[in-house]
Amino acid sequence: MTVLLRPAGTRPAWLYRICAGILVITVAAAVFAPIVAPYEPSAADFAALWQPPSLEHWLGTDHLGRDILSRVIHGAQPSLLGAIALLAFATVLGVLIGVVAAWKRGWVDTVLARITDVMFAFPGLLFVVLVIAVFGRGPATAVIGMGLAFAPVIAKFTRAVALEELARPYVDAYRLQGVGGVELCLRYVVPNLLPTLAGYLVVLFGDGLMSLAALNFLGFGAQPPSSEWGLMVEESRAGVIQGYLAPAIIPGLAIAIVVVATNVVGVRLSDKLAVRP
Amino acid sequence: MSSAPRWLAMATLVTLVAGCSGTKTDPDQVRQNVRLVDATPAAAGPLAEANWLIAKEPSTVDLDLDAANSQSDLVMANVCERLLQLRPDLTSKPHLASAYKWATPDTLVFTLRTDVTFHSGKPMTADDVVWSMRRHAADGAAESDEYVNVTSIGRTGPAEVTVKLKQPDALFLQAMAGDAGVVLERAAVEAQGDKYGTPRGKDACSGPFTLDTWASGDRVVLSKAPDYWDKAKAAKTGRITFRWAEDDAIVNSLVTGSADGAYLENLAAATRLASGGTTTISQGPDTRVWNLMATERGALADARLRKALALAINRDGINRAAMAGLGQPAKEPVGPGAWGYEKAVFQSAYDSLPGSPVPPDVEAAKKLVGEVGPTEPIVVASDGTPIRDVIANALVDAAGKIGLQASITQIPPQQYGEYLIKPDLRKQADLFADDYYISKNDPVGFYKNGSSKSSVNWVFKDPEYDELVPKARAAIDDAERAGIATDMARRWADGMPWISLVQSPSTVALSTKVTGVPASGCYRYYPWAADLGAKGS
Repeated sequence: MTVLLRPAGTRPAWLYRICAGILVITVAAAVFAPIVAPYEPSAADFAALWQPPSLEHWLGTDHLGRDILSRVIHGAQPSLLGAIALLAFATVLGVLIGVVAAWKRGWVDTVLARITDVMFAFPGLLFVVLVIAVFGRGPATAVIGMGLAFAPVIAKFTRAVALEELARPYVDAYRLQGVGGVELCLRYVVPNLLPTLAGYLVVLFGDGLMSLAALNFLGFGAQPPSSEWGLMVEESRAGVIQGYLAPAIIPGLAIAIVVVATNVVGVRLSDKLAVRP
Repeated sequence: MSSAPRWLAMATLVTLVAGCSGTKTDPDQVRQNVRLVDATPAAAGPLAEANWLIAKEPSTVDLDLDAANSQSDLVMANVCERLLQLRPDLTSKPHLASAYKWATPDTLVFTLRTDVTFHSGKPMTADDVVWSMRRHAADGAAESDEYVNVTSIGRTGPAEVTVKLKQPDALFLQAMAGDAGVVLERAAVEAQGDKYGTPRGKDACSGPFTLDTWASGDRVVLSKAPDYWDKAKAAKTGRITFRWAEDDAIVNSLVTGSADGAYLENLAAATRLASGGTTTISQGPDTRVWNLMATERGALADARLRKALALAINRDGINRAAMAGLGQPAKEPVGPGAWGYEKAVFQSAYDSLPGSPVPPDVEAAKKLVGEVGPTEPIVVASDGTPIRDVIANALVDAAGKIGLQASITQIPPQQYGEYLIKPDLRKQADLFADDYYISKNDPVGFYKNGSSKSSVNWVFKDPEYDELVPKARAAIDDAERAGIATDMARRWADGMPWISLVQSPSTVALSTKVTGVPASGCYRYYPWAADLGAKGS
């Protein structure tokens, strides 16, 4: 998801602080879920189906009488970890392609550029379907499949910033000292790219979270009784035709809020981290 | 952020949260609005065209193929006819056969109608009937198990077919009202070759509708048979188009009037339709029951554990969570729609079956678990569909309450149904949540599944039960057969190869402009669309 925002310099600080606060709370919820969640997330209670918000269940219950608040809190963990894993996989692949293309230039650059162009041409869902066809469905295959779709985005970005980095005088200095290409890239160039990459990855994080939630909604990733947010929306879809909207809307709101927050924070961070001496 | 977008965002959030309270349907109100009938009121007039929604696309229209699913039956029930016909009250009567008689205890003679014509215009002959029955009986045909006692099928007169059996078989006769009794035009099937049963083929039947179009992935269209042989039962609707959709699309289409009706597989969908002003919901008797089928995997090898789970599981909760309270907790694997004779005997036998479906008896279940001692963790399978997920979660909940460990394994919906034929798939779980229904109005039609040789019973082996199966089939006298059937029901409950959960009545949703179709489970075999017509003012 792309959120259009005003230039960072004109964006109010309170918005950044609120969004950063949301992310801190979300991460804390993911880490301390077993402590802060009032109920076990997959504990069904057939005496409390479709309960509205109450003192016992602050956000109500779903079609199995499970506490929605507890499920949203526990769901932060697979939702955030999934997006992190997706970006980690895509980053390793994308940075490798981007740095090699920028370092080698010539025909290697051309071939890698065409490969990433071809990967761009396919929707991410196709990669997921292909990976599932080979390895079966599950969170790992969803992460790998969607990671393949994100990798060319990161590769293009990495190539662009790596070209700039490789034009710096220190690179020629190391070359003259006899430092090999692999060592030069791994020890000096890539570490210098990391701040810029980190800011970009935070912006991409929201996109990754959204994409994985969509895959889980479609049944390709997390499986019941997981409380991953996309899966929660899917499981609660049947209740919508009976008028029970909350169990579907609340995890959907959680996804939307975290995605917006990561975009706001990401843009701010990338502005700060991209500053070069 | 300027104040306008900020307020807009805030208003959106408030609207969303307010929307969470939604327009909820009151289950009690819904139940009051549901009609409990065999058939909806008769149509007052003809209908030019109707749009009907089904859960998924038929996989084939050749009912002899194993691939034929319940949607194939639902559609083709209007196109193909049987020797006997299942009626909306779930009794059966002669149809393409004008009469039948047991000439000897193991010889069944069908007298055929002479006025029946196929859609090609050619008359139905005894040769067509013999060929059709042999096709059903062939190895690998979907209905071949119904012919297990048949030794020969032959034409014994211009309008007479004689079936010889190894022993008298009451179920065989009833099977003639199901897919095992369909009569096809031999020449039409053979002329089509591989096309028959596919979207490129035509039908070869004699029913009130012809198969007009099957546009794969889009729709199936049936048209009124112009020269249907039974003028009194000619279709009231000129053309009926079937499309397939998810539950929410079915509900929205019916509410907005873009569809005229649907037989609902997901009863929860009925809640919105029963409380809306543009649709009606009717329920009728059916044989369909949701069960947990125990496999040979091992954790539930001891029947006491299965019984303990049956005592502890919350059937009422499953009914409310998955069916909006429109089902009925059940302690028997076949619904009362099968009680086509001796109803009082079957009701009394049901009442005396051990256990009570509501409320759960956790203490008695714990006692049984205590008798067994240490146990293996139980795995229950689901395919992620709402009802199977509810059942799987209810099982885990029940197991936890009685000191057993249980977890859910997800199997893709495309593979799930294969557990019936693939032992490897059954090794993944101790219990599979699934529904089961029979075409016969006879509990023996279900309880034959308790035989050690049955393809749907993997844990219950009882030589005495095995002896009862042929005895029940051979009992032509209803009272005698009912007695054996109730004995089988008691033994089944004692062995408990399946944990029965909830009866699912047949449920039909109709636009307020149309009426006439049956509400009972006969729609899989009875030409229900022929009764569909316009409502009177």
